[in-house]
Amino acid sequence: MKEAYIVQSIRTPGCKQNKGLYKETRPEELLSFILKTAVDKTEGLKAEDIEDVMVGCAFPEGEQGLNIGRIAVKMAGFPDSVSGATVNRFCSSGLEAITLASARIQMGWSDVTIGAGVESMTFVPMGGNAPRPHPEYSASNPEMYISMGITAENVANRYNVSREDQDKFAAASQNKAVNARDNGLFTEIVPTPAYKFEKQEDGTYKKIEFIVENDDGIRSSTAEGLAKLRPVFAGGGSVTAANSSQTTDGAAATIIVSKEKCDELGLKPIAKLVSYSTIGCKSDEMGVGPRYAIPKVLKQAGMTIDQIDIFEINEAFASQAIYCIKELGLEDSMDKINIHGGAIALGHPLGCTGAKLTATCLANLKEVKGKYGIVSMCIGGGMGAAAIFKMV
Amino acid sequence: MKRKIRKVAIIGSGIMGGGIAALLAGAGIKVLLLDIVPFDLKDEEKNDPIARNRIVKAGFDAALNSKPDLFMSKKDASLIEIGNLDDDFEKLKECDWICEVVVENLKIKQKLFKRIEKVRKPDCIVTSNTSGIPLKAICEGFSKEFKQHFMGTHFFNPVRYMHLLELIPGAETLPKVLDFIAKFGEKNLGKGIVWAKDTPNFVGNRIGIQGIGIIMQAMIKEGMTIPEIDSIFGPALGRPKTAIFKTVDLVGLDTVDHVCKNSYELCPDDEQRNSLIMPEFASKMVEKKLFGNKTKAGFYKTDFTPDGKRVKKVINSKTLEYEDLVRPTFPCLDEAKKKDTLAGKIESVLKGDDKGAIFAWKMAANSFQYAASRIPEIADTIVEIDNSMKWGYNFEMGPFEVWDTYGIKEAVERMEKEDLKVPANVKTMLEKGNTCFYKLENGIKFFYDFASSSYKEVPVAKSMVSIAAAKGNNKTVMGNKSASLVDIGNGVFCVEFHTKMNAINAEIVDSMAGALEYVDKNGVGLVIGNEAGGMPGAFSAGADLGFISKLCHDKKYSEINAFLKKAQDGIQASKYAPFPVVAAPYGMTLGGGCETCLGADRIVAHSELFMGLVEIGVGLLPAGGGTMNMWKKFISALPAGVAKDTDLAKLFIPAFMNIAMAQFSMSAAKAKSLGFLGATDRIVFNRDNLVGEAKKEVLKMVDDAYAPPAKQPLRVMGNGGQGMVNAELFNFLQGKFMSEHDSFLAKRIAFVMSGGDVKSGSYVDEETILKLERDAFVDFAKEEKTVARIDHMLKTSKPLRN
Repeated sequence: MKEAYIVQSIRTPGCKQNKGLYKETRPEELLSFILKTAVDKTEGLKAEDIEDVMVGCAFPEGEQGLNIGRIAVKMAGFPDSVSGATVNRFCSSGLEAITLASARIQMGWSDVTIGAGVESMTFVPMGGNAPRPHPEYSASNPEMYISMGITAENVANRYNVSREDQDKFAAASQNKAVNARDNGLFTEIVPTPAYKFEKQEDGTYKKIEFIVENDDGIRSSTAEGLAKLRPVFAGGGSVTAANSSQTTDGAAATIIVSKEKCDELGLKPIAKLVSYSTIGCKSDEMGVGPRYAIPKVLKQAGMTIDQIDIFEINEAFASQAIYCIKELGLEDSMDKINIHGGAIALGHPLGCTGAKLTATCLANLKEVKGKYGIVSMCIGGGMGAAAIFKMV
Repeated sequence: MKRKIRKVAIIGSGIMGGGIAALLAGAGIKVLLLDIVPFDLKDEEKNDPIARNRIVKAGFDAALNSKPDLFMSKKDASLIEIGNLDDDFEKLKECDWICEVVVENLKIKQKLFKRIEKVRKPDCIVTSNTSGIPLKAICEGFSKEFKQHFMGTHFFNPVRYMHLLELIPGAETLPKVLDFIAKFGEKNLGKGIVWAKDTPNFVGNRIGIQGIGIIMQAMIKEGMTIPEIDSIFGPALGRPKTAIFKTVDLVGLDTVDHVCKNSYELCPDDEQRNSLIMPEFASKMVEKKLFGNKTKAGFYKTDFTPDGKRVKKVINSKTLEYEDLVRPTFPCLDEAKKKDTLAGKIESVLKGDDKGAIFAWKMAANSFQYAASRIPEIADTIVEIDNSMKWGYNFEMGPFEVWDTYGIKEAVERMEKEDLKVPANVKTMLEKGNTCFYKLENGIKFFYDFASSSYKEVPVAKSMVSIAAAKGNNKTVMGNKSASLVDIGNGVFCVEFHTKMNAINAEIVDSMAGALEYVDKNGVGLVIGNEAGGMPGAFSAGADLGFISKLCHDKKYSEINAFLKKAQDGIQASKYAPFPVVAAPYGMTLGGGCETCLGADRIVAHSELFMGLVEIGVGLLPAGGGTMNMWKKFISALPAGVAKDTDLAKLFIPAFMNIAMAQFSMSAAKAKSLGFLGATDRIVFNRDNLVGEAKKEVLKMVDDAYAPPAKQPLRVMGNGGQGMVNAELFNFLQGKFMSEHDSFLAKRIAFVMSGGDVKSGSYVDEETILKLERDAFVDFAKEEKTVARIDHMLKTSKPLRN
């Protein structure tokens, strides 16, 4: 197998669904911008060097349909020769895209690929525009289509995760994010152009461009403050809007290049993918996914958990994140987990999340001068995914 | 220039001003709502427009958030522009009607009108909503042109719900101005007009307040209790359940006290002036600020036991201590309960011989004396006085109508025997051989006019149709105990339901079939409408649940199926009849009542419409074509070419939710947004005009060369919709937002509405869905939990969530 090196990994800021700064900016623009910027920022690399782009997207329809993987490539101004595909494994789609892009190089089938992710939850809502559960199967197995909020309640109830712990976890996520933003620690973020339609004096509307610098869902919080919110998914439940991930728009991209091509173009490797695993679990408690996927990927790589310096474990819900951390024996390693906050503060743009967390993971490894990082998440339908990255 | 009301200024944003603004907005009229700039602005706020509009904004918000809703649709609020009397006064120039609703203070009002006189455009109508200050005092010293356009418009609180609008002509008001505002109030705002004279508290409050005052005094004198009084002066006498003291709690004892004092001071010659002096205990309550609902304690209050249960308490007029409420009764009230008609109930109470009955009689006699003596002082005719009590105080009968019910002669004899003074005008009337205040002749209602000593027609708008009058004129062509078919003229017939709450039973279903046949032979079109009383009243509260319950308990499932089939056949026959059928719903239009309307060709609805398919509350589904027609209303709202190629789920989910969540509207505007009313259905503001407007609609459809709709298969959501519902219901169930039985019912409702076992987008015959409706209904009727829901509803009038 060939060596496949990551030479670039960046993301846009994440902005709140419907109310955020991208509320009028289409997903194609977010994606094509991050693809183009990834190439531009990589000295020595030109667009024509790229062979293929894999784009993770959880709801590839409507504005994200028609194979956004290829459309965004063209909108980015890449030449005709660059191919593109859309990849879907719900919340791990972005990670799936990066691992597929890496595997292509490791197999020797390509020299330069991009693994990316995009999701505008504003334009294509969670569940998609036209969900159609199978009439008979949904009657016999409705849990296959269960709402994510209910799975979070199930995890909280079955594994005794208290409301108080969830709110504490959520407040900590927010406050870590406030600190990182205020101190410029999100080095993986690229200021991103967005636009809105503004009414003019004459009554017509004009497209106005502006730049988004930061994630717009970060709110300094206290557990006491969050305790006042009402549960949203179940009467008498414990999962609230504040201890759940934010629904968000965003895009991210990672460029992977073979060792030979790096040498030829003089590119500087940052990291590489060590191993990747996915695993299924019960759909009605899909949040437990990382608790199985992380041990599995470590075993594949012949590593132990204490070798890992940075964890990016997606905070789909505080309840499942807390449960997974506990089961993995990582309660005392909070200084390694989501050190700049997680999806509760920064948002969870579904299909983009894996690509986004990879960029964050590599930036954080660099910051703490660590060697190994893990990106992991739970996945709707009952799955977990985990990938190990190694700095080089 | 033809007068039009494009924009109205309401000055004063209190509960009345806000209410009038909301009503106007509901009628589609632009409103400028103004109030004063706060006196207590800090220096830095003096140029801040938001701070300067603080008072009017608070009033506007209060109107927007008030319960019951003052707005028929919150969307209407966008028609209201707010401002203050300093910065926005010039905007009055744009207004066609300026209505003053500021504090009851003569100087303030005069000062305001002086300013208004300077900016108003010529011909602009200016009115005052004052309830106590004489108009002649207010407009003293104003120009002739101003006085010609100045009058009183007295609304009642809550403005949206109280039918009464008292109009008070000024001495110089132009007749065309009076006429215009009367028509506008009646048609556009849906109000019942009472012509009042410029006397203190006008008609409604003058009569109403004296009635409350005298009863309070007599209660003390006769040693009666508050609950006793409220038991007598409630529904048994055709008055609201809130009777006397709960009504005062609702209005506020401070307000009642103010009106009493005002009436007392301004009416030195009133022979019953002393009845306006509140008894000592009530004055003490005012001092203690026990005003009623607004201070959470009045004659009544609600306490909570330590374990959170509500306990109703009532004040003891002797000790001013609150005691547990015990509901008293009198033999006359028990007797009244047995009577079907209001007239029967009233006679039982007023002619009884127990303590309560004698008290009720004395008070009735007093109200007869007082009302008769007020003509012509406060109004010219008995009609104005009766209407003001019916529309402003929600009495089912005004004093003269009650007197008629008792029998005028009989009452006068009893009054004379008891040494009670009989008003001279009534005495004269009797002497001339006239023994009733109202009479019906050839379908025309007449009233006795004291001034001319003759009977005159009760004035009605030209477009108004009275079913009662038509029936009185022998225009009933068919009928039974539950429904009648009435000829309402020009070839149009009206099916009138007249069961309790107009519930639909087997007789009504039979009548519908007969009516359609009759009209086919003899008429041009049909109106489905009725004139049952009450506020909001019931066009039809649904199927007769007692009847359904019995069939369920007796396990007579094939009979249930047959009943449903007949109902469906009737509804389908009305849809496809060769003549137009227009439904005229108002008030409660639930379950089968709603289904009846959905099956009609068109709906002409009163603005106060509480419409919904709420069957799931009793464990059932609409099976009189309602599930199908709800879907049809949605799918047929689209242009035909679009309906062929649209995402049906966007229509299916809301249509399904309407039934599965038992959604119902709180106004006709809301019914439109829920999809119960479609683009061709109309909303009428004045309930009195409803049947007339429906008749007009029929005639218009006939004139437009009516042809019945072609029956075509319906495009349905199919099993794709069932999958969506299965998945979503699982989440609701897991989230404990619904019960297992709710989920079971909802899944089956989705199955029926989506056309059964077919692929999404299939075309299905109407009969197929109707069959699915009946099958589901019968299967539901076999469920223990459904029967428990029905029985619980019959027993408690509340839904059981099992």
